[in-house]
Amino acid sequence: MNYALDAQPPRPKLSILATLKGMVPLLEGEQRIIVYASLATLCNSLVNLASPLLVAHLVDTYILSKQFDGMLRYSLLLLLLAVVGLFTSYMHTRLMGGVGQRVVYGVRSRVFNKLQELPLAFFHANKTGDLISRINNDTDKLNQFFSQTLVQFMGSMVIMAGAAVFLLTINFRLGLAALAPAAVLVLFTRAISPWVKRRNAEALAATGGLSAEVSESLNNFRVIVAFNRRDFFLARFNEVNRANFDKAKRAGLANIVFTPVFGLSSMLAQMVVLIYGVGLIMSGEFTAGLLISYLAYVTFFYNPLRQLAALWANFQVALAGWDRIDAILEIRNDMPQLPPASAVAGASLLEFRQVSFQYTAERMILQNLDLVLQRGKTYALVGPTGGGKTTTASLMARLYDPTSGTVLFDGLDMRSVPPEERARRIGFILQEPVLFTGSVRDNILYGNIRLQSLDDAALMVQLEEEGLAALLQRFDGGLAASVAASGDALSLGQKQLLAFMRAVLRHPDLLILDEATANIDTVTEQLLESVLKQLPAHTTRVIIAHRLNTIENADEIFFVNGSGITRANTMQDAVDMLLQRQKAS
Amino acid sequence: MTRPLTAAASAATPKPSGKGARPPGLFSILGPYRRQVILLVVLAILANVFTLFIPGLIARGIDNFVAGNFELTTMLVELGAVALVVFFFTAWQNMLQTLVSEQVAMDLRGTLAGTIAGQGYRFIEDKNPARLLTNLTSDVDSIKLFVSLVIPTMVTSAVVIVGTSVILLILDWELAAIVLLVIPLLGGTFFVIMGKMRPYFMQSREVVDWLNKVIRESIIGAALIRVLDTATLEQDKFNEVNRKGRDLGFRIVKLFSLMVPIITFVSSMSTLAIVTLGGWYVIQDSMSLGTFAAFLNYVALLIFPILMIGFMGNIIAQASASYARISEVLKAPKIIASGTHTAILHGHIRVHELSLDYGGKPVLRKVSCEIQPGTRTAILGPTAAGKTQLLNLLAGLSVVQHGSIEYDGKPLSDLDQASFFSQVGLVFQDSVLFNTTMRENIAFSVATSDAALQRAIDTAELAEYVASLPQGLDTPVSERGTTLSGGQKQRIMLARALVQNPRILFLDDFTARVDASTEQKILANIGRNYPGLTLVSITQKIAPVTGYDQIILLMEGEVLATGTHEALLHSSPEYVQIYNSQRSTSTYELRA
Repeated sequence: MNYALDAQPPRPKLSILATLKGMVPLLEGEQRIIVYASLATLCNSLVNLASPLLVAHLVDTYILSKQFDGMLRYSLLLLLLAVVGLFTSYMHTRLMGGVGQRVVYGVRSRVFNKLQELPLAFFHANKTGDLISRINNDTDKLNQFFSQTLVQFMGSMVIMAGAAVFLLTINFRLGLAALAPAAVLVLFTRAISPWVKRRNAEALAATGGLSAEVSESLNNFRVIVAFNRRDFFLARFNEVNRANFDKAKRAGLANIVFTPVFGLSSMLAQMVVLIYGVGLIMSGEFTAGLLISYLAYVTFFYNPLRQLAALWANFQVALAGWDRIDAILEIRNDMPQLPPASAVAGASLLEFRQVSFQYTAERMILQNLDLVLQRGKTYALVGPTGGGKTTTASLMARLYDPTSGTVLFDGLDMRSVPPEERARRIGFILQEPVLFTGSVRDNILYGNIRLQSLDDAALMVQLEEEGLAALLQRFDGGLAASVAASGDALSLGQKQLLAFMRAVLRHPDLLILDEATANIDTVTEQLLESVLKQLPAHTTRVIIAHRLNTIENADEIFFVNGSGITRANTMQDAVDMLLQRQKAS
Repeated sequence: MTRPLTAAASAATPKPSGKGARPPGLFSILGPYRRQVILLVVLAILANVFTLFIPGLIARGIDNFVAGNFELTTMLVELGAVALVVFFFTAWQNMLQTLVSEQVAMDLRGTLAGTIAGQGYRFIEDKNPARLLTNLTSDVDSIKLFVSLVIPTMVTSAVVIVGTSVILLILDWELAAIVLLVIPLLGGTFFVIMGKMRPYFMQSREVVDWLNKVIRESIIGAALIRVLDTATLEQDKFNEVNRKGRDLGFRIVKLFSLMVPIITFVSSMSTLAIVTLGGWYVIQDSMSLGTFAAFLNYVALLIFPILMIGFMGNIIAQASASYARISEVLKAPKIIASGTHTAILHGHIRVHELSLDYGGKPVLRKVSCEIQPGTRTAILGPTAAGKTQLLNLLAGLSVVQHGSIEYDGKPLSDLDQASFFSQVGLVFQDSVLFNTTMRENIAFSVATSDAALQRAIDTAELAEYVASLPQGLDTPVSERGTTLSGGQKQRIMLARALVQNPRILFLDDFTARVDASTEQKILANIGRNYPGLTLVSITQKIAPVTGYDQIILLMEGEVLATGTHEALLHSSPEYVQIYNSQRSTSTYELRA
């Protein structure tokens, strides 16, 4: 299965309404707050509509007739309205702002959780920087939509609806004429929105590309410096920067199409009303005074419409962002978890039955492998580089499922072993040690529930017992020494030591070491060997190495070379195979 | 007049005073775009001014109609013309603000990238790539928003406010003074709230940095997380930061939701002041009804721009926080200028009393050694002996703190960097592959001839592997080279170093990932294909380097012994100890 987000089948074209429906789950639990915020918005809009009318009435009735107390009464009413306005406007901004924050929080969590559920292959198919951009940048577009656009949208709609009702009741035909440009506008908006959204989608993708490039270059900056290729970094950066500029510019230009057109339609409406109104006055159906107030209501209708122009563009950006987020949420995991099965008595620890594997359709890595691992034994996998040793190990730890054939653990299909059990019982020290920003302690106890609660002293006792304490001397500061995931303060050998300690402390039944000690000096390596010997008797070890000294104590040696796996009878046998059947790649 | 208006206005004039303007320097980015910004402002003002004509035109039309000399065509022509002019100016203004803001964003990204590119490796590590990523993306975006939205809005708002204020003062200065009290009041509110928001925006940017980092680590560590089934742990880690971001967002929302209501309320109060006070004047006949009506209308005009300024507060606070972060990077001093010496290196290296502290702890202590041109030298030592740090110093990746390194008798700092790096080949412990083709990954350093490329590939024993690739050298390689084995990656790194035909080749633990027989072949290839090359190999295994001209034994940052394999077997007990620890298995290695 292809996990590349760019290569996913085109998403079915959904209407805006259907897309909005897709977003509804994001608002789970927010319904009540949205209702309150809408009520606040409604009140606020009514206050905004009522205040000018009140002022007009006040002037007409009281000031012109010089009634001071009436004027004061109305002023108090105005004050009251202003207070209501203050309160409702505060409420809606506060409430919807909160909704926006919670929505982003929820979406980010959902995307990140989804990432954790996806298999390793997904991460090989997608660029880190682009994923970061989707989680951080694209979700932020949703925040802007939910916290700002949505409420203003509702407010504008309320005012417009009120104004439209006024226009139609005063004079139905004139009202229709006044609203006609708006109808044209709706058609126009419908027609160009998909185009605007597409351009925004391209812009967001370009931002993802920029983020991917920056992320790659900055994390590999050492090579750029050493090969004196700052120009390479700058040239590649300028290229994505320029591409991002082009796409962002195109999206920006698409987004602003609405504003002048909406403005024009507003003026058109006034002209239509004026012409038609004058006609009506001529035929005696209308008065000049009415026409004046009518024009005011037309403005009431069209001013919020102009605001809608900007909001609509925001909406398109949010939709495009949502599509990119949803693309991750929609990805299907092709490593299903089968229901747990009951144990099979007397089964060997791990077995490969006719296992074949390929990363891509073109190239078969492993073909019809058969392999049995017994409890308590040590196995070595040797073979030419690129021969499939790491792949074999990855299948043992279920980083991948075989393309065909079955991997059995305790006689059960590996796919039916619950992940927590698999993690507890299978330890895999990867070729590239993985560290997390934190301390040495954090790193060796990463994911270790059993030892997490121990204090430093108790942990030292534990390390001492397992023969690991001596390894800590390789770190200035011991358990508290700080570790930066990307930093170079630690050498590769030290990183490998941490990964080793982490795996051993978990007491797995099956421990796989994939070139796990390649950069560790021989004296320390002997320490590690004694640690491995101290492991409980039932522990099965699988050691991958090309340095033969690491594997001389193995009970069995397997020679792995793509097409098949051969058992070597003796160490010498393995050496001969390596020499003669060396796959040249 | 409020302060951001002053700042906006001064930014639009050729000599931005900028003094005391908060946020510091934010407006200074606009310097190079002065003309476009001025044009933008002029267009924004024109669009607004012409919009103001429309009620006047309609009013006149109605007056004419009532008076009986109404001409529909004239009226329509006038209105149509104004409508088109407004359309034209709005469209132009909008287009220009998109172009200018995108241009500012692109240039700012370019400048940032340029500054970063001019820095040493240490800078990137200190500043942390996750943060620089936020600088280049989110931070620049908020400045872009500032340019596209804040500048035109602020300026047009300022024009309307100033214009209206002047008219009000002319109409009745006493009443106007009371009404205009709202402006300092609003300015005050604006600044208090914005000042409070800014630190939150700073922090929320830091949260984004942090999120970047957590996401990145979880992606890099994807395999481990799946092996250990620690998805929940990662989710908790992410959610903790995510929650911090949300809570900061709540605080910002809390402040921001005060801003707009207060501004609207205060402006309603000014209307109220006119109605009551002005109404009282009218009742007392000390003010004409016309003036009173005019006051009301003009105050109505004031409210919208004031409101817009309120909305801009959010963006300004965010942009100024982002700019502060960006300037911190931009202000970083350029790394020590490169030397000028460009001569061809012979490969004579002299290290004298080199010491290095890392985080207050000594990593190297007074390391001295000498390497002759064309020889093979091994730096041997256990894990954490300081070998990699020594290599970084030798290769000019880290700055020498104490002691000296000389190449052909010239201090390293005197050498021209470009020339130096083009003559030195470096193979790091861990492999770094770029998202591009195999060809570009290998021919990474310079424009290389096909012959040089082929020679490097042959030397690294990669020819057959390359031939097996579906598109040969043009096969794309993914970011983390995930379908390549460790040994293949390592050899690609070697080919990358060799392709530039280096005079000196540094290998860091090359023996670790490549099997012994391949390694022997590769070393023989190097001797044959790159005659005269000076080889410095960092290693922990003795067997592959016994034939070297010189072995330097490094332990805990100190040189314990120097000499050939045979000499060290006689002179250095530590060496003998390591040798014995490796001997039990070296029989296999030698034969393999």
